[in-house]
Amino acid sequence: MMATRAVEVATGVPALASERSVTWPRRTRARLSNGLEVILAEAHSIPKFHGELFFRSGNAAVAARAPGLAEMTATVVRTGTTRRASRQIEEDLRRIGADLSSGAGADTSAISFAGLSEFAEPLLGLVNELAREASFPDGEFERERRQKLEEVKLERTQPGFLAGERLRKVLFGAHPYGQVSPSEEQVAAYKREDLQTVYRDFYTPENGILLLVGDFDSNEMLKSAEKVFGNWAGKKPDLKPGAAPPNPRGRRIYLVHVPGAVQTQILAGCHAITRKHPDWVKLGLTNSLYGGAFNSRLVMNIREDKGYTYSPRSGVNAMRQYGYFSVSAAVRNDVVAASLTEIFYEMDKLRSVPVPEPELADAQNYLSGVFSMGLATQDGLLSQLSTVALNELPDDYLETYRQKVRALTPQDLLSTARKYLDSANMQIVIVGDREQIEEQAGLFGEVELYDAQGARQS
Amino acid sequence: MKRLQIGIESTKLANGLHVVIAPDSTAPVVTVGIYYKIGFRLEPQGRSGFAHLFEHMMFQGSANAPKMQHIKLVNSSGGVLNGSTSYDVTNYYEAVPSNALERILWLEADRMRALKVDDENLKNQRDVVKEEVRVNVMNQPYGGFPWLDMPPVAFRNWANAHNFYGDFADLDAADLADVQAFFNTYYVPNNAVLLMLGDVKAEEGIALAKKYFADIPAGAPPPFADPSEPEQVEERRGNVEEKFGTLPAMAIGYVMPQRRTADWCAMALLDQALHGGRAGRMHRELVLEKQIAVEAGGGIDDLFGYNGPTQMTTRILHKPEYSSQATLDAFDAAIRDVRENGISADELEQLKVKWRSDYYATLEGGRGGYMPKYGLMHLLACFTLFDDEPQLVNTILDGFIAVTREEIQAAARKYLRNEKRAIVFRTPIQASAKEAA
Repeated sequence: MMATRAVEVATGVPALASERSVTWPRRTRARLSNGLEVILAEAHSIPKFHGELFFRSGNAAVAARAPGLAEMTATVVRTGTTRRASRQIEEDLRRIGADLSSGAGADTSAISFAGLSEFAEPLLGLVNELAREASFPDGEFERERRQKLEEVKLERTQPGFLAGERLRKVLFGAHPYGQVSPSEEQVAAYKREDLQTVYRDFYTPENGILLLVGDFDSNEMLKSAEKVFGNWAGKKPDLKPGAAPPNPRGRRIYLVHVPGAVQTQILAGCHAITRKHPDWVKLGLTNSLYGGAFNSRLVMNIREDKGYTYSPRSGVNAMRQYGYFSVSAAVRNDVVAASLTEIFYEMDKLRSVPVPEPELADAQNYLSGVFSMGLATQDGLLSQLSTVALNELPDDYLETYRQKVRALTPQDLLSTARKYLDSANMQIVIVGDREQIEEQAGLFGEVELYDAQGARQS
Repeated sequence: MKRLQIGIESTKLANGLHVVIAPDSTAPVVTVGIYYKIGFRLEPQGRSGFAHLFEHMMFQGSANAPKMQHIKLVNSSGGVLNGSTSYDVTNYYEAVPSNALERILWLEADRMRALKVDDENLKNQRDVVKEEVRVNVMNQPYGGFPWLDMPPVAFRNWANAHNFYGDFADLDAADLADVQAFFNTYYVPNNAVLLMLGDVKAEEGIALAKKYFADIPAGAPPPFADPSEPEQVEERRGNVEEKFGTLPAMAIGYVMPQRRTADWCAMALLDQALHGGRAGRMHRELVLEKQIAVEAGGGIDDLFGYNGPTQMTTRILHKPEYSSQATLDAFDAAIRDVRENGISADELEQLKVKWRSDYYATLEGGRGGYMPKYGLMHLLACFTLFDDEPQLVNTILDGFIAVTREEIQAAARKYLRNEKRAIVFRTPIQASAKEAA
């Protein structure tokens, strides 16, 4: 167990100076007459700006039609419009020094972009064109579908992907969140018309949020946004909620067999909460003490003390409807059981013994300090603003977060750990060579065996 | 055209430590870095991977901050930290709320003054590093391709050609005496630069640098082995097995000119023409148009930060129905085109705008999204250690903006030659087993 050697303390450490206050920039909000929500913030560090045009619908909303359909739609969106062919789009982006990507997660589709402030309007113009006039050229669609086929084959050779895919299936079952990626057959069955339907339904101003952060004058930029996006029209799509996810009880092992693997990827998880939940900040702090920071208990234990792994981590993964807590580590094959023992030991300890005050204070400092780093860069700020906007968090979320973190007590953490670090019901995925790890894994629960294609073997 | 001007103050302490400050009070955050001018290129022979293993040891304890205290003190001040080893430098850095600046400087000075580690620490980090190699290389499809596969094929001098992550036998052979010797030789103030960026005033930063670092004694000037390569006069080829992936892959690398020459500027823009994302010629030709490849990208690794032989490398994963030869032919056609026809005035104009935009992004650039000003720190450090001229950050763009079409075509003809390149094929064992069946 932990503390195989005494931890010494540092001597002569300079005290912290008094803190400079953290001031978040003023946000300018507007809703255009067509329903498009616009949020802007100025950040003048470099003569550039960053933006995201989000739509509040992603892969989950069309999972019943085909997994990954919103992602495929977003991929093909950038390959042609009624006015510009693929090559023209790429060259025009380069001409104004811009980067652009389009993609979709479980709950959103997005066009993300960054460029020089001096070319803000042409970049917004191109984003607008992609959002409204994508033409889904046949040849581009066929090429991207073929690319996607190779991608889905490749991801089945990545231990991290295999672990994540299995855990999501176990935790979410038939709910759309249970499906992280399409199969080869599903990709082969994608039709251009399906993409166009997704595009027509999702990419509308009523369903959208435009976020812009950077070196501009907010009033001027808002005028540009209005000029570019103002005459667009479209309704919010009607979405049906998915099937309720399962609630797996008791620990169970899911072994994904990768012959010849020289390391084992561990990923264990349980249901938790979304960002809107009142316990979010408490769970964030509990996670950072457990395995969410370099200085966390789990990292100190299985990395710095025992050397089982390079990269242990825990996290709270929040999607719009549900969230889950997970812990991961890629470990040496002969210490799978030993690593799991420590993973549960640290979880159980947080569930049974109040965190000492000094350790709590350290973790509070960590979380509130790191939170403020979002202020220092344009894309850091953008990411904070998009978290607030997409999760419909209160307007003062950024301003009050640090106070909320600092107000928490050892008792809060104890009850939070008991509630969400659900040690007894953790679902444990291990990806590795069966011969070397099955016996060790069997010590922690009944083992279900899968191959890398996702098929159950026993 | 709006040009970014970074305010920079720099000085050198009596013990030879360079100090560079770039104040910016936008956010109450300061990024601190120390760069030592030693990377994996010049680590000792028989000790492959040692520079990186040593980097891990720098987090294991110093005279007044024992094991686990470095990490604890940075995190509990509200900050993040890391280190990294590259060809010619090793860095250690922290981003913290600015009220923790003095504490961070104390920590960095403490480990520059005296590392305090034992055998148990070394064994622990050797185990951690092996798992790092497994998770990034040995247990990943295309792990280490081509950054670890290319050097032994492309280069003849051990300094450039060895396994930078380390053969496990060499990692096992490393002992505490090696750690102390490496520390004493290279981790001296006269082989380092201290950087502070963000919420710090220049005079305050310099005063603090003196307070914490001035009494660290200078060491003997570190001896540097000669990393130069014999002139390459023939194409070189090698093969590596791919254990997990099913797509055949290849990487083609061309020897680069010296840093900070006119050719270097031309090659940087040529790199942008070839590898600049989806508009780049390699992606456009091989992925979008001919549709032979699933991935075709790459470029010059760490343009500003290399200080010895390096390459511009293209990495290609291609569809199995195309042979390696057919794929290489398509690649060669793209190279031939730029050698014979150069690039248009319009393309060059686009490249320059994109280059400037990317440069600004680099300066602000976080690393993995959590390290403000990492890119600026890296450039200032390299321009200080290699050029003794941190102000280059504000002027280096000029050389790239001045490149002409003629220079780009001349660079293509001079450097993109078969006898100046090396090719590594990474061949899936799964696909070849199927073909044989």
